[in-house]
Amino acid sequence: MTVAVVLVALLGSAWLLAVIEAWLTTGRLRPVAPLLAGLSHLGRESLLPRKPDRLFFETAPVLLLVVAVLGAAVLPLAPGLVIADLATGALFVNTALAYVLVALIMAGWGPNGAYAMIGGWRFLGQLIAYAMLIVMPITAVAMRAESLLTTTIVGSQEGLWNIVYQPLGFVLFFIAAMALAFRAPFDLPTAAGELAGGVDAEYTGVRLAVLRLARLVLVVTLAAATTVFYLGGWHGPLLPPWAWSLIKTLAVAVSMLLAGRYLPRIREADLMRWCWTLGIPLALLNIFIVGLLILVVP
Amino acid sequence: MSEAVLALAGARKGRPSILQRLVGQALARNLSCLIVPGPEVALVHGLDVAAAGMRIAATPRDAAVLLVIGELSQKLDEAAAVLYAQMPRPRAILVLGGPAPSSLPHADVSASLSQAELIDAAGRLQRALAEGAFAASPEDFDASVLQARTEYVCPMHPEVVEDEPGSCPKCGMDLVAREAGADTGAEETTPEHGHDHEHHKDHDHEHHHDDHKHHHDHHHAHGQHNGGTHEHSEHDHEGHEHHHGSEHHMEHHQESSGGHEHHDHVGGHDHDAMGFMSMVEVTKDLPRSADGLQMDWIEVPFGPVFPGLPGGLRLTLTLDGDGVTEGQATSLVGMTTEGEDGDEGKEMDAEAFVERLASSMPLASVSYRLLACRAIERAAGLEDDPAAARAHASALERERIASHLGWLAQLGRQLSFVWLTRRATSLQLETRHANRDQLVALRPALRALTVRLERTPLLKARLRGIGTLPGSSHDLRGPVARAAGYREDARLANALYEDLRFEIRTEESPPDAWARLQVRLAEITASLDLVEAAGEPRLPTLRDIGSASGTGEVTVETPRGRAGLRLTLERGQVTSLKMDTACSHHIGLVANLVEGRELGDALVAVGSLDLSPWEVIQ
Repeated sequence: MTVAVVLVALLGSAWLLAVIEAWLTTGRLRPVAPLLAGLSHLGRESLLPRKPDRLFFETAPVLLLVVAVLGAAVLPLAPGLVIADLATGALFVNTALAYVLVALIMAGWGPNGAYAMIGGWRFLGQLIAYAMLIVMPITAVAMRAESLLTTTIVGSQEGLWNIVYQPLGFVLFFIAAMALAFRAPFDLPTAAGELAGGVDAEYTGVRLAVLRLARLVLVVTLAAATTVFYLGGWHGPLLPPWAWSLIKTLAVAVSMLLAGRYLPRIREADLMRWCWTLGIPLALLNIFIVGLLILVVP
Repeated sequence: MSEAVLALAGARKGRPSILQRLVGQALARNLSCLIVPGPEVALVHGLDVAAAGMRIAATPRDAAVLLVIGELSQKLDEAAAVLYAQMPRPRAILVLGGPAPSSLPHADVSASLSQAELIDAAGRLQRALAEGAFAASPEDFDASVLQARTEYVCPMHPEVVEDEPGSCPKCGMDLVAREAGADTGAEETTPEHGHDHEHHKDHDHEHHHDDHKHHHDHHHAHGQHNGGTHEHSEHDHEGHEHHHGSEHHMEHHQESSGGHEHHDHVGGHDHDAMGFMSMVEVTKDLPRSADGLQMDWIEVPFGPVFPGLPGGLRLTLTLDGDGVTEGQATSLVGMTTEGEDGDEGKEMDAEAFVERLASSMPLASVSYRLLACRAIERAAGLEDDPAAARAHASALERERIASHLGWLAQLGRQLSFVWLTRRATSLQLETRHANRDQLVALRPALRALTVRLERTPLLKARLRGIGTLPGSSHDLRGPVARAAGYREDARLANALYEDLRFEIRTEESPPDAWARLQVRLAEITASLDLVEAAGEPRLPTLRDIGSASGTGEVTVETPRGRAGLRLTLERGQVTSLKMDTACSHHIGLVANLVEGRELGDALVAVGSLDLSPWEVIQ
């Protein structure tokens, strides 16, 4: 039952996100648009490029979808409404999302095309840079909650959300999450203007439908993680807890989409440099400040 | 109407059923199109594809409609066939304002170049897709450009190339099949380049063919879709005939018309040599690149239809990882002055010449119309009419504003900067035919755009230090020259512009992409001032020259820089001409700008030159 509810919420959010995205691009609010897009993908030929690495090519979209859903499995929608309340939940999110990289490398290598391959390698190149910015802010969040249980983390924010308690961590996590979801301005692996779609470039038909869905779900999962870690999860007045979780998640997801529209794509070298020389020291500073706060403020 | 009910040439195999009707409806309401030559050409014709209900796709894989605008050059025509072949069925062809490209099947819908016609055509296309997306026996598509020939080479002796399988006369080893040049004659569009390993520098062929076949197959990859060359054959046609022989070819065709996985038999083909390959081993003999990493080198074509580059331009980059070791740009649509004139008997009616020049330079047609008119009038000995000259200067400046806005939209497409593309596009559409008052009314919007760009985070970091021209660069023109600090502008020599209080703006900072952005933004404002001072814009038209003879030479400052035209008139006929354009010079800068840069930076550098491939005289 819980599984079904969470999956429906996940897919529903992905659908809403797609509607909003289409609304922003075309200026028209068409609730059926994502369904039509999905249906037209399903109706088109699903081509195989020549000399593909079949295993990698076929697995990548599915793996990306599975990874995104797995990540969402440990994020609570409301008290008790979580697929698996793991004792290592916060770490599990990070672990599951590490496979986004694997999926993209496979999608890059599989089709046997230069654009896709460069896209995949680009993502690998950035990995260490922002992977640290996912895990280090989570460390500070877990410090405050004194637990890796995602439900306890939400509980620890009842009085004061982490976005206020550790704003620095929020900013770093939000940026790193956008990079992990490879949305503009971090769309280096797919970059339309540089790689004509990159890792997406060779997918058509059913496979493309899965890939598109996976990318949407990934954004929703990362937005849900941001909500749980920094925006107080289900806490909020009047509305039921699940509604608050959904509203916050969607707000974060939409802001991720919006930010990319007003910014040019970041240079790969700059992203790496800033992550290493600025991001990681700031993340350490965040851990230090949170540590101080925990010791000083009772 | 009955025409629309017929099946599309690019229909997918299948019996019409409820489900398929539903899919057809979904496709029709979710049209994405790939524009040939490119979205910037659609815009100069005033076509707003989004307003017609179509989404612009970045790749042929993502497109259901191939939207062809205007008449295509021979090379672009062939590239269009390659792109079309890569689009998954069901697919359709929409041709606006030109004959259907000869390499493609007949156009499913054709119309003339206007927004009203485009909207109407999109509607017809939707009906055609809704009803004819699936057909029991769809047409095959098999253009001659897509043909590949198989040749056999000795793994040890690259000079041994045979048409038949057999053994090497030198060492007796079995010959290995590879794809060879289709005999199309056009060097850049032959599909083979990327598949054999010729483009590797300083490497040993034996090495590649032998031990590391698997590895190299991956890297050589079919170059790219938009690249137009290598992938030529993937689904519709001979994808594998060179591996499997022609029996397979037929089978292949049928599958590809409707089935999903028509490449199943490829699976083991290239991976039988699957084993661990050491990157160190593979790259040990390759030269090192700027970042010190030894990587496999691959030659990748970008364009002639590529979202980050102007349509019609082909950029060929040799990549080492994602660093560019060398690159060069060629135009597939450039005007050929000598050759064509030879064919046409070297005579052309003056009026027709003006039209031809204006239409062969779609991105700056007003400038070249003016250039042609003035050169002919000069040759005929007519004096300039001051009032007309002002009106023409005003039209020229209006085109400059529109052109720079078009460049900004292109920059936005390159950098996934959606807001910029949309804003610049809508301003460009408003500017195109605006009168003086309307242009003046746009001033606050244009000003706001400039301010906004100055303040956009990441933009300066993205452009600063990219595409820096070496100090020794010469022959620079237009905004590129002015961004490098040269006082180079044909308008300086024109007395009219002195009256209009024209002031040249140059940039003293390093001559990079950011400086070029600054200069173009400043020129948008400056041109607006000039329009305001010069009065109502009017398109140049040729005055009556009778049957005059003579020689005339003029220069015009086009949006991309000074263009010169010298022509000879004999009894009202243009008999010879010599043209000199900015882009012919700028295209040569590409090799220097991309060398040693990271791929993204190299593309930004090329984009910052604002090359119009049409204005490259070959």
